[in-house]
Amino acid sequence: MSIRINPNILPDLLLSLAQSKQNASTATQQLATGRSVNQLSDNPSAAATLVGNHDQAGQDGQFLQNINSLNTKFQVADSTLSNVVQVLTRAISIGTEGANGTLSAADRQAIAGEVQGLLSQLVGLANTAYQGTFLFAGTAVTTQPFTLDTTTNAVTYNGNTGVTSVQLSNGNSINTNVPGSQLFLNGAGNAFGALQNLNSALLSGNGIGAAVSQLGTALSQISTQRVFYGNALNQVNLSENFLNQDKVNLSTQENALVGVDPAKAASDLVQAQTANQATLSATGRILSLPTLLDFLK
Amino acid sequence: MGSLSGSLNIALQALLVEQGAIETTSNNIANVNTPGYSRQRADLVETPPVQFGSVTLGTGVKLADVTSLRDSILDLRVNQETQQQGQLGAFISSGQQIQGLFNETAGTGLQAPLTAFFNSLSQLSTNPSDLNVRQSVITAAQNLTRAFNQTSNNLSTLQRNVDLSVTQSVNQINALTSQIALVNAQVASATAVGQNPGPFIDQRQQLITQLSNLVDVSQIDAGKGSLTLTTNSGVPLVVGGQGFQLTTQPDPVTGLQHIFSQGTDVTAKIAAGQLAGQLQIRDQEISSLQSSLDALASNLANSVNTQHQAGFDLNGAAGGNLFNPPPAGGVGAASSLTIAITDPTKIAASGGPAPGSPGDNANANALLALQNQTIVAGKTPLNYYSGLVFKIGNDLSTAQTNQQSGSLVLQQIQNLQGGVSGVDINEEAANLIRYQNAYQASARIASMIDTLLQTTINMVQ
Repeated sequence: MSIRINPNILPDLLLSLAQSKQNASTATQQLATGRSVNQLSDNPSAAATLVGNHDQAGQDGQFLQNINSLNTKFQVADSTLSNVVQVLTRAISIGTEGANGTLSAADRQAIAGEVQGLLSQLVGLANTAYQGTFLFAGTAVTTQPFTLDTTTNAVTYNGNTGVTSVQLSNGNSINTNVPGSQLFLNGAGNAFGALQNLNSALLSGNGIGAAVSQLGTALSQISTQRVFYGNALNQVNLSENFLNQDKVNLSTQENALVGVDPAKAASDLVQAQTANQATLSATGRILSLPTLLDFLK
Repeated sequence: MGSLSGSLNIALQALLVEQGAIETTSNNIANVNTPGYSRQRADLVETPPVQFGSVTLGTGVKLADVTSLRDSILDLRVNQETQQQGQLGAFISSGQQIQGLFNETAGTGLQAPLTAFFNSLSQLSTNPSDLNVRQSVITAAQNLTRAFNQTSNNLSTLQRNVDLSVTQSVNQINALTSQIALVNAQVASATAVGQNPGPFIDQRQQLITQLSNLVDVSQIDAGKGSLTLTTNSGVPLVVGGQGFQLTTQPDPVTGLQHIFSQGTDVTAKIAAGQLAGQLQIRDQEISSLQSSLDALASNLANSVNTQHQAGFDLNGAAGGNLFNPPPAGGVGAASSLTIAITDPTKIAASGGPAPGSPGDNANANALLALQNQTIVAGKTPLNYYSGLVFKIGNDLSTAQTNQQSGSLVLQQIQNLQGGVSGVDINEEAANLIRYQNAYQASARIASMIDTLLQTTINMVQ
């Protein structure tokens, strides 16, 4: 005797209808959102990895913002120092002119006047501010770092020697400033002191040559320090490239984790719809099959 | 020797028996769509023969019994699978709500505010003297505390909702056990007087399946058709004609309902069914999530506070707490986390006390570095959180997989059950033809014997 089968096949049909509908709805959702993972339970480990991915992308975004602001700051500092170099070069050139013994005292005084002007220009440059903070004040960024005593021509440094560092990317930090004292009042080449000396030498007519050579030392000192900003700009650009690449990598990873293959989702949808229709038509036929009762008279 | 009246009796009896069989068939067809109905079979048997010398003559047919066709082992399997389905169903329905709170695939959850908080510190490190930048640290910290508060409160709301469902489930269980107790008594009394208890067993089986959806049920045959129902751990539900009610009482500390039977707390003993799923969500899943959130919130807040105190604010004063200190031990930290300062100058970005160095960002960098330090149970804050996200997703996806495979098993067992107990219209129609033919034949015999009797009577005239 054969096994008696369940005469009520409706639950089986309904289950398979529900399944094909579920498949169609999943495929539709994937196509609509462009994602194969729309809930944590769709793929728990992908969802957990996605948390780290989004965090890293968010951090990269912030690092890029930081870099953007640092970049401008470094450019401002670098071009300021380039102006400083011009000022000192000009001072050396007129100092050399002043060292010429044929000049009269009046001529030297006129040159000394220009040197005085260069000195205040240098003070102005050394007090350059970017977005409300002084670039060469160490960490005392809200204090004007250099003041010029107009009677004695003495320059005072009001900043400090603090150096700050900022992260350019995870685990990669960069120093962001050179204190003004190190730039302009450096023992190895004091720009302010040299200008002051040149000024007094021109006025007195003595030691002009020595003052000019002092200026030369100060100039080479500034140029040495300026390398810091050049390097910093390079590093910032490198980090920017790295971060932009990282963002691309992260978005590729995200796509691999939770993205959907549109062709596959579309074919899943068609398959589910076909299955659904086939089941429906089968259900219709099976439910309207005649029974033995229909043949009894 | 045989007699005409004997034959007439046999024919008349056969008419009655076929009538009974037709009635059974008719009842089967009538109940073709009745849930829980088991098809019935008319059991026809020969009546004992009589002996005339060396000749044995049959005395006809009788309707010995009408039996319901069922396989009680399949019934048990259906109940077992139903218990699993009930438990998983309840777990999944609440689990879906939980994962909605942490749906990182759609950008909801704690990752965004966590990242934003550390990003604000990163920005602070580039421009520590700027009040707007300092303000944005406070805003980001506030957003983070709100995200913690909201997530924790939403979990608590969910927990209270599930707690209401627990009470409802207990009420449903009580209603069912009372009904089952009544039907159980009817089965016993029908069995005692030799009636077919089938219809009552159908009803009882249907009710037990409903009960299985709610709670784990173990059946013990108490003899004479009566069943004793307990949970798997032996909590009595139905004994004979008596239903044992479960009661609920709120826990004095948590306010959550505990389940009592005969004065004993049986909450931890509920092993399957919807009620077990609800208890699992309420007492394990949500509770463990809450403590994880608390651990994250309190460890993060404490570490940030410690580092913040090591720094100095814009006025050169030593830093205070950035967050109000979470409760010791961390319980309730997530729901109660608040920010301690509103004045942006109080952010301790500087590493040194000198008031003249607003550009000092050493402590801002140290605060930012906490992002990559293992300050929460041996993990970085974000890794700890992503572990949480994985657990939520994984618990739910495991339950969903189990439910899917379980539902296929259940469907299969129900098909087997239908194979034994389901009414097949064609089969019934075929039976009808057989019984109808037999009825007609018996009627013909009766009428023929009538003719024979007439002949005999006429013989005497």
